[in-house]
Amino acid sequence: MVAEAPAPASSRQRGAMPSVRPRRQREEELLVWPDLVFVEFIAALIFTITFVALAILINAPLQDRANPANTPNPSKAPWYFLNLQELLIHMHPALAGVIVPTVFLVLLAAVPYFDTSNEEQGRWLATPRAWPNMIVGMIVGFVGTWVLIVYDSSKHIVLYERFSVGSEAFRVWPPFMAEENVRTWPETLNWLKSVRALQTDINWHNDLTGVPIGETFIRTDLLGLPRGSIQWNVPAWIVEQAIPIGIMIGLPILLSLVAWRTGLARTRRDHMILLISGWFASWLVLTVAGTYFRGAGLELLWPWDVYPAES
Amino acid sequence: MATTERPQGQAIVDRAYEFLVNNRVWKSIFRIGYPNTPRNQMLAVATNVFLHLHPTRVHRTHVKITHTYCLGGLSFFLFLGLTVTGVLLMFYYVPSVERAYADMQALQTDVRFGMMLRNTHRWMAHGMVITVMLHMMRVFYTGAYKPPREFNWVVGVILLVLTLLLSFTGYLLPWDELAFWAITVGTNMIGSDPILGEVNQFVMIGGFEVGQNALIRFYTLHVIGLPLAAAIFMSVHFWRIRRDGGLARPL
Repeated sequence: MVAEAPAPASSRQRGAMPSVRPRRQREEELLVWPDLVFVEFIAALIFTITFVALAILINAPLQDRANPANTPNPSKAPWYFLNLQELLIHMHPALAGVIVPTVFLVLLAAVPYFDTSNEEQGRWLATPRAWPNMIVGMIVGFVGTWVLIVYDSSKHIVLYERFSVGSEAFRVWPPFMAEENVRTWPETLNWLKSVRALQTDINWHNDLTGVPIGETFIRTDLLGLPRGSIQWNVPAWIVEQAIPIGIMIGLPILLSLVAWRTGLARTRRDHMILLISGWFASWLVLTVAGTYFRGAGLELLWPWDVYPAES
Repeated sequence: MATTERPQGQAIVDRAYEFLVNNRVWKSIFRIGYPNTPRNQMLAVATNVFLHLHPTRVHRTHVKITHTYCLGGLSFFLFLGLTVTGVLLMFYYVPSVERAYADMQALQTDVRFGMMLRNTHRWMAHGMVITVMLHMMRVFYTGAYKPPREFNWVVGVILLVLTLLLSFTGYLLPWDELAFWAITVGTNMIGSDPILGEVNQFVMIGGFEVGQNALIRFYTLHVIGLPLAAAIFMSVHFWRIRRDGGLARPL
């Protein structure tokens, strides 16, 4: 409906419409009836048939009656919240359950207010550098999220112990798999086993695991209120909050910065495509990991171990 | 209004058509003739309350499937399908801890097409979550959120949240193991927020654990509260598509 005539951009943004439309635009238009209504009708028809077929072929699950006394292992949220449940494994529950999704949704809603240009709208990835930015963003989001999940689940230890055996591995067949060849992770590097290991495998000073904030800093007793007993566990705070927040904010900024310095992303639209693509990919990985790769105790497993084939 | 523009003929079909169309009853329902002229085709869209969501004309490129893959329209279509199947499901379902699970079993075994009704509702619900997300990706990658459509993107994000909440509240209703523990895990996530988490969780499930109060709250939200909210925001969403100049396209 917006005119294609060379009207000044400002008047167009205010939504002002010229009273007489140029001839050329009229010729490029189609009537909604029948052209669009037909397409919509076909789309609705295809979806109706698809869902009736699905409903005939696949039955919705109905398990045993709910029993609060019997907790299944693993117990999982609906699939579209498994990304958040996956986050929950890696950070403070308040972050994963409330703060991250809230901040994410607010930032998502704010996208048009960051990217204020209106060039090249209405066409798929039409701005220059849109494709490379999308692909780079998706690859970084995909690989990065998997690397972080694998690291925090200590699976790099498994990889190391399998594959770091050097040439002597080949004396026994099959290599890498034989018991004799397994080299264990060095104990001095135990703190690199996962993010949590930073807290558990470093000998933190007692003063740091229980900083008495309630008694020394927040003196509620001076206001006549009961004295707080907040003990700040610094290592736990680092592991559960500082590192996850740092990663979730820092890595996108780093990605954006690198893309800017290398000339990959120059406009705001470029950066939006880069970051949102990374988010989409990351969100997808978290959902898939939470759905197919988390078994009993929310252990990271292969899908065939999570859902063993019924024999 | 205009008389019918169909050519006169002597064939029985034509006479039957005239009999059907040339009377006061028909013309009181359909005020325009058969939409086979541009004028009547535009009137067909403009005078019909359902079709007038559309403009009467659209740009040539907007009819191409690959432009939008119809994703927004299909999300709306799934919403309508879910409303229809949901209303039918309400005939057989009582949201009480004692009865809910037995009602589900009865629906699946005793009600004619009950299983299919339930399957359709469930798969459409999953389908709607997927189409809404794909629709959002389509809008993002075609740059259709850009000025003057910024606020409609925000409305879209609200609709995404409402879709997720609709699906989440519906998840509890079968009252089986899957439902119970999924909602327990989900609401525990909300409860883990140190500031207002416990209050929010208490308000959501009406107690300290998922039980009768949670079931009736989720049911009420699922069948009336959230659909109404979604309908309101969808009205705004569709209205603003028209007001902001139809689908986005290159300036």
